[in-house]
Amino acid sequence: MLEFCCQLALAHTMPDFAICTEKLTRRFGNLIAVDHMDLQVAAGQFFGFLGPNGAGKSTTIKMLTGLLAPTSGSIKLLNIDFAANPVEAKRQIGVVPEGMGLFERLTAAEYLHFVGQMYGLDRNATQRRSEELLEFMQLADRPKTIIADYSHGMQKKLALAAAVIHGPRILFLDEPFEGVDALASRTLKALLSKMTERGVTIFLTSHVMEIVERLCSHVAIIDKGCLVAQGSLEELRAGISGETGSKTTLEQIFLSIVGESGAARPQLEELSWLK
Amino acid sequence: MAEMTPSLNSIQQVRLVAGLRWRILRNSLRNKNKMFDLIGLFFAGIFSGVLVLGLAFAFYSGTHYFLSGGRTRGLVFLFWAIFLFWQFFPIFVAGFGGSFEFRTLLRFPFSMRAFYLLGLAYGFANFSALASLSWLFAMTLGAAAAMPRVLPAMLAAVALFVLMNVTLERLTGSWLEHILARRRSREFFVGFFLLAMISLQFLGPLTDRSLNSRYSSVLRTLPYFAPFPPSLAGRIIAGAARHEYADAFLGIAGLTLFVFLFSALLWRRFAAQYRGEEWSEAPSPAPASRIHAKKAPERDALRLLSPQVAAFVSKEFRYVTRNGFALLLLAMPLTLMVLFTSQFASRHPHVGGIALGADLFFPAMMGYLILILMAPSYNNFAYEGRGIQTYFTAPIRFREVFLAKNLMLVVILVAELSLSITVLAIWIGVPSPPFFFATLAAIIFFVAGQLPIANWSSLCFPRKLEFGSLRGQRNSGVAVWIMFAVQIVFGGACALVLSIGRWTGNFWLPAEIFAVLAAAAIGGYFASLDALSHVAEKKKEVLTEALCR
Repeated sequence: MLEFCCQLALAHTMPDFAICTEKLTRRFGNLIAVDHMDLQVAAGQFFGFLGPNGAGKSTTIKMLTGLLAPTSGSIKLLNIDFAANPVEAKRQIGVVPEGMGLFERLTAAEYLHFVGQMYGLDRNATQRRSEELLEFMQLADRPKTIIADYSHGMQKKLALAAAVIHGPRILFLDEPFEGVDALASRTLKALLSKMTERGVTIFLTSHVMEIVERLCSHVAIIDKGCLVAQGSLEELRAGISGETGSKTTLEQIFLSIVGESGAARPQLEELSWLK
Repeated sequence: MAEMTPSLNSIQQVRLVAGLRWRILRNSLRNKNKMFDLIGLFFAGIFSGVLVLGLAFAFYSGTHYFLSGGRTRGLVFLFWAIFLFWQFFPIFVAGFGGSFEFRTLLRFPFSMRAFYLLGLAYGFANFSALASLSWLFAMTLGAAAAMPRVLPAMLAAVALFVLMNVTLERLTGSWLEHILARRRSREFFVGFFLLAMISLQFLGPLTDRSLNSRYSSVLRTLPYFAPFPPSLAGRIIAGAARHEYADAFLGIAGLTLFVFLFSALLWRRFAAQYRGEEWSEAPSPAPASRIHAKKAPERDALRLLSPQVAAFVSKEFRYVTRNGFALLLLAMPLTLMVLFTSQFASRHPHVGGIALGADLFFPAMMGYLILILMAPSYNNFAYEGRGIQTYFTAPIRFREVFLAKNLMLVVILVAELSLSITVLAIWIGVPSPPFFFATLAAIIFFVAGQLPIANWSSLCFPRKLEFGSLRGQRNSGVAVWIMFAVQIVFGGACALVLSIGRWTGNFWLPAEIFAVLAAAAIGGYFASLDALSHVAEKKKEVLTEALCR
């Protein structure tokens, strides 16, 4: 099933880090959205990137995928310097950006054809993979419907299909499960799990802790533009409880790490006008 | 238990919304690109202001002329002109403030009365209403100067006329919004509307061209329009001027009746919205039977291109064919050419004493067509929407994007111009070889020279446009001014070179000069692609911010 999604990953010798940033910084005027971030994601990891609202998650993922230029610092994807060789770096990745980035006036098949050719696939391969992906995502029964007429969940599935059509070695997913029903969610998770089994690195942002906890082997937490924690779930649990094998949930870990920085904020028990 | 908030009255609620609109406008100016846009709009505003003032003077003079000369029946024409402008102009350019839907405020505890007043107040916040109010004010001044005793009747007529117009405009707008909520009906309407507008252009040549006979035929039809509001408004003043007060009161009663009728209908419409009428476009249900996707046809011609450029061209082609508005724009140049040819080159070959033969008409017509067809290229990414992100995440350089988009434009240009040249050749004949080749070379120079600037403008001043939508559809003000400036410069250069041929008596000289200029422009175009790729990298935030809204 969808063998092509994993072919490239196996064909190459795995570098130590699939994603490596050094002092990655992005400023918007006086605001420092991402501050000297040193992030390492090993090849083949299912990596969850967490943070409260406005912490810099989307800014980071945009810089890692070429949608936003860093103010300073460097990005290496599979040892390819993004700034020096953006085209080669982009060839290795698949992206489901915020808002999905679909061309809404194409049909699903036309869109997949377009994306396949953008990544240099030949027509036959694009055709074959498109059909397979549409079947897998249960989108094949509406061939004449343009994307604008798809539901949100269907658009999400199509965006993921487009992100994997060329067999990327790293997959960046910005809130892939947002607005997706349980059935579609199961389809997406099955595909992602299969891909990591075959060595694809997945970098995922989500606000749903349960999903990250269930899918990801490693997690990083960003707060106010700075990386405040990074490691495997076990390492993070050990860091919080002081012992390995504890049953601390990811939500508890997240709150204890991010909550620390918010400790100075006044903690209101109740709102005065709702007494 | 929670404290209850005190309820606001309707006026307070309207005032709050006015404050909200002001803050939205003020905050939007913090965006640099919006600021540039505003500068563009400012200059457009100056032009519009001059136009409105000029016409206000005309309305003043017209009222004065009709009243002082005893031709009171003529006032009806002035009211009809204002009525038609007020009702139809918003459909053409509903872009002013179209981004804010006051229905979104319904989640707040608004009373129906406040909601109605708010809806009505919105009717005054557009260009057509403000211009019409200026002209009605000018008419009132004209009446006061020509015949002061009709002033009370004039004020009554104007007040009722304003109320009737604003109510009807909101009613039409609300119904249109309701009908156009679905994409397909929206596209159908846009297509129908544009075709109707183009068709209207042919009425002139089809009807008798004598001005006097036209005027008398309009006068003959005037009684049939007597029961309608503009005629009733004219009747009020005419009655007062002729001391036929019963007639004036009849006009007032008629106009009041229209105000009540439209108000009742508008109240009914707004009440449906107030109750929570659902306009959203739900995805169409999936068909029960499975239909297998047809294989995409192989396009051999595209095999000559790199896969990326071929994919872009293919996508651009699909976007053009699925955009009813763009398709109609493609039909427009040819339609206008037929119109102008029938007006100036066939039946009426002499305008201002100059014979419009093929040598003069051909380059002029080609220049005009290029102006129309080049305009969209100044906002190349208008219809990409969120898809623009793909251009930055895919392993491509932006030169490929531009190559594909410009190639598509050139294909359209070649097709349109070939068709137009064929029609012109059959209708008015082929121009002499020096003019023919000079025009062709000038077209290449004009297009290739403009493309780098148009591409740059698309990167720096992008504006998202919606498929099949009339509301809020306009390019960035700066992009429009850049286009005007560039076309004036290039048009001027072309006219100068063509004139050199006439002055020197060497009719082949312009063709030679244009050939050199065209070669230089093509070289410049290819040289610009890499530079524009760098600009695209720098401007990607501007692009994604503008198009991913």
